[in-house]
Amino acid sequence: MESHSFHPRLAELISKYPKSAGALFQTFNDVTLAQKWTDIQVLELSKCGRGAIKGLRPSLTAGEPPSTCVVVPCGLAESLSTSWIRGAFAALDDQLADAPETLFVAICSDDSSIVYYKITKGIMKPQV
Amino acid sequence: MSLIQPSSRSKQKSSQKSSARRTENNRIYAHPLPIIFAEPSEPSFLRKTLHFLGVSASDILNPHCQGVLDVATRSVWVLDMKDAMILWQRGFFGKGDLSRSEPSWLARQINARKLAKQGEIRVMTSEEVTAKRRAERKQFKLDRAKAMAAATAEAEAAFQQGRIVSTVYAADGTRMIPSAATWKPKDGTQPDQDPPRVEEDEEDEEEPMVNVEHLQLTLQEAFFLLWNFDCLSISNPDGDTLTLLQIWNAFQNVHIPCPTLAPMIDPPQHRRFDNPFLVNYAIYHHYRSFGWIVKSGIKFCVDYLLYKRGPIFSHAEFAIVVCPVYEDPADQDGSPFELNNASPFSWSWLSTINRVNSQVQKTLILSYVTIPARSRVSQDILSSPACFAHYTVREVVLRRFIPARMRD
Repeated sequence: MESHSFHPRLAELISKYPKSAGALFQTFNDVTLAQKWTDIQVLELSKCGRGAIKGLRPSLTAGEPPSTCVVVPCGLAESLSTSWIRGAFAALDDQLADAPETLFVAICSDDSSIVYYKITKGIMKPQV
Repeated sequence: MSLIQPSSRSKQKSSQKSSARRTENNRIYAHPLPIIFAEPSEPSFLRKTLHFLGVSASDILNPHCQGVLDVATRSVWVLDMKDAMILWQRGFFGKGDLSRSEPSWLARQINARKLAKQGEIRVMTSEEVTAKRRAERKQFKLDRAKAMAAATAEAEAAFQQGRIVSTVYAADGTRMIPSAATWKPKDGTQPDQDPPRVEEDEEDEEEPMVNVEHLQLTLQEAFFLLWNFDCLSISNPDGDTLTLLQIWNAFQNVHIPCPTLAPMIDPPQHRRFDNPFLVNYAIYHHYRSFGWIVKSGIKFCVDYLLYKRGPIFSHAEFAIVVCPVYEDPADQDGSPFELNNASPFSWSWLSTINRVNSQVQKTLILSYVTIPARSRVSQDILSSPACFAHYTVREVVLRRFIPARMRD
């Protein structure tokens, strides 16, 4: 991982929060190279003890503009709770002027599979 | 490249592969393991005699792949693409870290470039096939919604006037609301057209693409290849090759939280039977030794998926949930590892997992691994892989029983 070109961008967060280093690196890699997000910023959520990634996600339908999304990586072995998720939203509110109403949780596995879950504050009607 | 399938506009379902593709797949994925037994074309007399007596004296061809241990992601990376394709094609080991299964990131970038330049791509990776199918399905749903709205409006207008119109068939006899079987995607290009000729000097301007993808092996897959077949050698990030004993220690130490992310090759301070690496390896080895292809099951809420021949050939039939059982409950209380599903889980959780897997036609299997008691078995046995003889695996198959329906 150290020799990967992305490592310097994440080095500070990797050394500060070593437990979530693998998940952060894998998510950053996936989001940048495979999902093709643009305008990527790495944020620090000290309340959750990890880093998060914010960027512009290209829209699936042609013609629509990309949307700003925030993804919080975590490992498969970790246990999440609703207070953890609330903490993540609170930390984002502190950091960003226009904090999004939804965030993505990226659950990373050892074999590099990532499953993304979309979490919204409060009840949200699913899109048709 | 092996992953390339010719794009076909025929109405065959994806499960009915053409026989040419099947033959091609059978040729590429012929070997179930990375090592190959090769018979020389002209066997000597000694070989023939041994063969007659039932002793096989064929040569073993070992690909000798290289991997690097990465502690942060708890995996072994295979950076050389040639080694990566060998491990994938012979046994479906590992996963491309930027792809769905087979490392295809570079192929997708090249295809994206070709699409921008020529407007169509002839050969597609599995991710592109899926994306195309999803886009078509989305378009079909939009068309159907529009047709339904139009039919409703027409029926309303007719009702106002006192007429009755059919909402199923239009005046010319075709169905008004498209169904999945009859809908055809509307696009201008014909697949049989030749792509427009590209000027030769345009191609020289583009720089060659660097492949940033690697094949990621889990610790269990890496140890399986290394210990049983000796076809993988693992080095630490500095480049030094690790010995079997160092790897044995490092793989267990990966699960012990540590501030530095360097591989720890000294024996763990307190050896424990419930180290997640050992527990998961016992399961992995158990199913691999029966010939199943074992892959991660994170997408279906389970621990592992079992494939009969490989993901290329058919969908996984079985979904495995690993349930570690402590022979001595006192071991669990003092354990630094919180193994998943070691405590009984609720009926609602079990039902959820079973429903998810039934919907995708997989059978749920609960695999109980017994973790030996520290009081009965000495911890010195953990200094080598011989400890696996003390783990046992039992399976319980779970199927939902619906008394009303299952009598017929």
